[in-house]
Amino acid sequence: MAYSEKVVDHFNHPRNVGSFKKEEEGVGTGIVGAPECGDVMKLQIKVQGDKIVDAKFKTFGCGSAIASSSLATEWMKGKTLEEAAKIKNTDIVQELNLPPVKIHCSVLAEDAIKAALTDYKKKAEQPK
Amino acid sequence: MDQTHKMPGKRVELQMARSMCWHCQSEVHGEYFCVQCVKVQPVSKELDYFTCLGRPRLLNIDLGVLEAKFYELSRTFHPDFFQNKTDAEQAISLGNSALLNTAYRTLKDPIRRAEYLVQLEAGAAKDIRTSPPAELFEEILALQEDLEEFRATSPDQDPAHVEQLRDKLKADRELLERRQKDMESRLFALFTAWDSLQGRSGHDDHVRGKKDAVLKEMREILSNRTYLRNIVTDLVDTIG
Repeated sequence: MAYSEKVVDHFNHPRNVGSFKKEEEGVGTGIVGAPECGDVMKLQIKVQGDKIVDAKFKTFGCGSAIASSSLATEWMKGKTLEEAAKIKNTDIVQELNLPPVKIHCSVLAEDAIKAALTDYKKKAEQPK
Repeated sequence: MDQTHKMPGKRVELQMARSMCWHCQSEVHGEYFCVQCVKVQPVSKELDYFTCLGRPRLLNIDLGVLEAKFYELSRTFHPDFFQNKTDAEQAISLGNSALLNTAYRTLKDPIRRAEYLVQLEAGAAKDIRTSPPAELFEEILALQEDLEEFRATSPDQDPAHVEQLRDKLKADRELLERRQKDMESRLFALFTAWDSLQGRSGHDDHVRGKKDAVLKEMREILSNRTYLRNIVTDLVDTIG
């Protein structure tokens, strides 16, 4: 089964690969994994005000998982926290043309977004 | 061993897909071959692999018994014996054999057997979810970063540094392999726990709760093992 052009593009030219320091102010980190395939995904956001000004990811897994997280960071940049929370795995499936066996990769990306947002909010609520 | 199943029409233990012969429409009662027209009948697609091979839902399996059962049923449905039959009969023989093969391949391997049982039984207890192993993820990410660094180096760069990295990764690999072994022995201990619970009445809430706890623990070990296995594979591929 072949990957779609968009998956191949994200795989060959992943956007926003890298990481921020977890302790840094305004950084939210989400680390999730897919027990079926053993893929691990780390997605981080940098927030100023209520806007996501930057996003980075590191994914160890198949092409679809890498493409899903790459796309997720692209989409999150410039969005408010509220808008980012609305990104659904089905949007990723549609954009990347993922086949049914790879849908769990997009679910993983959605989980990572949620985990990063939750982590940011938790950190923001903590007294400095 | 009971060889009577080879006799057309003799009733045996597999659940069949239909209660009427697909060919002559006469009633069938679970026979592998129609009593009237002697055509082979399709096995029910809903059969779980344990039932398929005549095993109770236990995790400690006598592989010899399993194999004997598999061969016995294979001889009944093997496509080789249907080469001169109609297309419909060939298709049924192929379908039945495919199911048997998958069932045997799944149950033969202890890890796949456990994964299959958890999947089967979790249907009855939907709320069995594992907590994401956050520490393990962190560890895997750190290891993957070391691996990336190692892959990016070339031997003429700084031989001492490359060697140092390689040694570290080798040590990591040994440690991880040992942990994988530990996980497997914990898993196999749970096999016995599960089997003894299966022997008790399933309607008892207390037993059900204990069973769910065992299933949950098995699922946790199995998924953690998958993460570990992936990183070990990557390590082996990179440093040999």
